[in-house]
Amino acid sequence: MSSTSQKHKEFVAEPMGEKLVNALAGIGEVLGKRLEEKGFDKAYVVLGQFLVLKKDEELFRDWLKDTCGANVKQQGDCYGCLREWCDSFLLFQFVLCQRKTYQHGPFI
Amino acid sequence: MPVFVEDPAQFSKPRLKSELIAHNVTLPAVESKKQVYVELYLKHIVQKSAADFSSDEEDDDVVEVQDSQDFEEEKDPEMLDPSVLTDEELKTTLLKYGVEAGPIVATTRSIYERKLQRLLKPAQPRQNGGTGDADQYSDSEGDEESVSQQGSPETVSLMEENLHVDIRMVPQSWNNKNTEYRYHQCFMPLSRMQVSPQSVSLRGGCDVDSSLSSKSFSITQMVEEFESRIPLSSSGPEIKRGNNRSNNQGPRPRPYWQEVATVDKYTMTNRSLFVTPKTSLFKRQIKEPVTDVLMEMFPETEPTPTGIAATRRRPIKGAAGRPVQFKYPDLPASPMTLQRWAVEHRLVPLWVQILVFFIVACLLYLIYAAMEDSLANPFVTLLDNLSMETETEGLSLQAEP
Repeated sequence: MSSTSQKHKEFVAEPMGEKLVNALAGIGEVLGKRLEEKGFDKAYVVLGQFLVLKKDEELFRDWLKDTCGANVKQQGDCYGCLREWCDSFLLFQFVLCQRKTYQHGPFI
Repeated sequence: MPVFVEDPAQFSKPRLKSELIAHNVTLPAVESKKQVYVELYLKHIVQKSAADFSSDEEDDDVVEVQDSQDFEEEKDPEMLDPSVLTDEELKTTLLKYGVEAGPIVATTRSIYERKLQRLLKPAQPRQNGGTGDADQYSDSEGDEESVSQQGSPETVSLMEENLHVDIRMVPQSWNNKNTEYRYHQCFMPLSRMQVSPQSVSLRGGCDVDSSLSSKSFSITQMVEEFESRIPLSSSGPEIKRGNNRSNNQGPRPRPYWQEVATVDKYTMTNRSLFVTPKTSLFKRQIKEPVTDVLMEMFPETEPTPTGIAATRRRPIKGAAGRPVQFKYPDLPASPMTLQRWAVEHRLVPLWVQILVFFIVACLLYLIYAAMEDSLANPFVTLLDNLSMETETEGLSLQAEP
């Protein structure tokens, strides 16, 4: 069990915004491409799946293995990354979503 | 005779298919819509039930499935094949096994089906012993998880054998004593975290689901909790600190700093008394798969015998006569310093700019002086006019009084 990777630290340091799935810890090029093919092109879509599975570790790992063939380490990295992100930002992300609609300015 | 409201439209397509096959009805084309199956079902099976009294029981049993109450009366293929269950049935079946499933949508359905299969597999061959369950869980977990997690199944089996604690994870624990499954959330490294009886399960409610489903490390959690309870005494702040740390740490499949659930102090003491002589036996084994979070944080520290390591905290700026410049090596650039640097960066060429300005001004003056003749005329005429005006004004002023 190594400590968290650089990728993990970077991901959980700020709201994910429009980051690609490759930005997730444990998801490299190959896995990222597979996920994108399945329609999970952005990190927030994977987040959505994570939340639909009620942030359950086992289920999310299963899903990840199913969808992109991640091995156990990759599953764990991704799960930990998303969970920590949720701990820090989940409430705030909802606020961000509201803000997004006003991206171009409140008067337009 | 009870009358059940048949609603085959609620059945899933594979379910209808299997029903039709069971009643020896020829199936329509594979690509047919569900409605076709429903119609066939209604036509043949309802007819059958009307005509044949003896087959009513079977139909009734089959129909009862809709109520999702009497799964025991279902035929075995039904139970073994989660794919023929509807979403609702799948959800209730999972609930029966103590798994609170989330929304069963397209992406999650296969996951939940597989989970149900996993739950069904050990439950069916072994329905007697409690001791077998933990082993099965360890087996099933061992098949899926990597080598690194095989330590925890060992602890699971050991726990079962030695502690005789009823750590039934899924099939029965849901309705059993609350304290049991609340233990699953506790995970404390040896002699570091301490149990706080008053630390109410902040995440207790929502963690139950994850705890019940995550079998492997939660057993280890219990062991850790027992062992940590032996040194004992509660401290809330420590747990809070642990939680803060968990946010920074990004825990791996075994979260270390999860919130400790409420533990009944009475049972806790009882268990600790019961457990004390035995936990030491496999303390060793547990230590191997478990890695210390603090060791991760500070890998260079030596492991101490007590497991307690103190790390020097960052000294307070300017405190106790410490000069600031020596105590903070390589501070990260704060916004203020960055601004100051930017301003200073601009000031240097500013002097150059002023110098250049003066040079240009001098040049212009020289040009003006050199071309005195051409430039002088308009000024001269202007000056003359002005002087004339002032003279006239002065004369008029003098004239008035």
